[in-house]
Amino acid sequence: MLELYHWEPNVHFLKPLIALAEKQVEFVSRWFDPLQFEQFGAGFPHSTESDLNLEGVGPVLVHDRDIISSSFFMLEYISEALPGPALLPEDSQIRYQARAWSQVLGASLGPVLSTLGCACHLAPLLRKRDSLQLQAEMARIEPRERRALWQAVVDGSHSESDLENLRRRLSPSVKRVEDALKRSAWLAGAAYSIADIDAFAMLDPLSELAPEVVNERATPRVNEFLHRMRDRAAVREALGRSRSGSPHTAFVPGAEGSRWG
Amino acid sequence: MLKLYHWEPNANSGKPMLALAEKGVEYESHYLDLLQFDQHKPDYLRVNPDGTIPAMVHDGRVLTESTPIMEYIDETFDGPALRPTDPVERWRMRWWMRFFDSYFAPSLSMIGWSVFIGPAARQRDPKELESAIARIPLEARRVAWRKAIFNEFSPEELAESKRRVWFATDVLERHLLEHEWIAGQTYSLGDINGFNLGYALPLSQPEHCNDLRTPRIMSWLRRIYARPAAKQTWAMGRTQMVSRVKFLETAPSGREH
Repeated sequence: MLELYHWEPNVHFLKPLIALAEKQVEFVSRWFDPLQFEQFGAGFPHSTESDLNLEGVGPVLVHDRDIISSSFFMLEYISEALPGPALLPEDSQIRYQARAWSQVLGASLGPVLSTLGCACHLAPLLRKRDSLQLQAEMARIEPRERRALWQAVVDGSHSESDLENLRRRLSPSVKRVEDALKRSAWLAGAAYSIADIDAFAMLDPLSELAPEVVNERATPRVNEFLHRMRDRAAVREALGRSRSGSPHTAFVPGAEGSRWG
Repeated sequence: MLKLYHWEPNANSGKPMLALAEKGVEYESHYLDLLQFDQHKPDYLRVNPDGTIPAMVHDGRVLTESTPIMEYIDETFDGPALRPTDPVERWRMRWWMRFFDSYFAPSLSMIGWSVFIGPAARQRDPKELESAIARIPLEARRVAWRKAIFNEFSPEELAESKRRVWFATDVLERHLLEHEWIAGQTYSLGDINGFNLGYALPLSQPEHCNDLRTPRIMSWLRRIYARPAAKQTWAMGRTQMVSRVKFLETAPSGREH
């Protein structure tokens, strides 16, 4: 039995939906709404690892009795444990590249993407909610630094110039991807792999959240890569699971930014 | 030809060093003195333009991310397997390596830099330090080095780091109650990663990590240090900092430190 607990197909939630569609593996879709805090509801799977997932609320894959969390490692698990087309590069040097891309983009894009997305899309939604009820629900979020990220969204502590600074910080990583795509059509080696799924899930929302960073003129290869990814049947199938029709607006607080400055 | 550019057997540098030792792979060791900013000098920037350590050069290709380097080592070289074959255990190994790298290590190293690297670096001429910082290629690393060298960590930041270290130590102790090794039943890269992070915890956080309070962590650290590869790797250390590993040669104590 394979069950995927997920929300709208965006960022981390999008990755396993694409990989499972690529594999053509049957699974039970367990939709949950993190804005209604349904991850605290009865029957939701919990483990030390899924509760402490550093990406914040994310997809949870339940394979028989095993609970798999953390989106890139979930992609590696899907690649290694499930039948279907290979999604891991064959060569170990290229596999290194795929893992290194995930590490670098996760650290550099992940926290900025989450902060931008939450400031633009989640904050207005939370501010419409009953404040006392929202605070009571947020009190259940552990550990406390994750609760603080939600509180920061509610407080709207990011000014427009903060957000501009965040967008500026995206540029070096996006440029790295642009340069890599000059050398090869796919991010890790000559073939499509989980590195592309991972990068696409983080880069695609930036077309709207940071259009001055990701656009046809500044990043033509990234732009073409995003179009090519969107044209894949598996990506269309994954995005087609959206209930809102606008998955790019679905954000919850995710990875924390570096505490080193 | 395999070359490894590294500092002490500690944190990120120690990860590929211990993995290579476990596999029995010989390599050309290039020691870079972090406190002399060797990693930001032109010779090394030609190897790794980001100026981060470690870097491994194999078959003409340069690898710079320490945790993925360990997986590469296990996949590429002969020797005992350092990753479980079971996909769930392999996933658990990776999850915990990310927890060590992204949650535990930044807090522990903030404390370590404030007590070790910062004071040691401040012995040098301030002008020389400024120009050394200016040579650091990555902006995020320039910010981090400046904070460490000039002791710009606030008391609140250090207190938060200590809270997180204690929290993560408790999470790890509970994990080791249920699992003999990080991934589950077998010694793996997860243990190599965790040992590099935590070998000195009993000395740096003695009130929280000791035989009475965290017996599983203590037993796990001692079991890893008892391995010939760990002894061989830590013998390559040149500073007092890594000699703290010797504490793990002491017998378990029945009394709290």
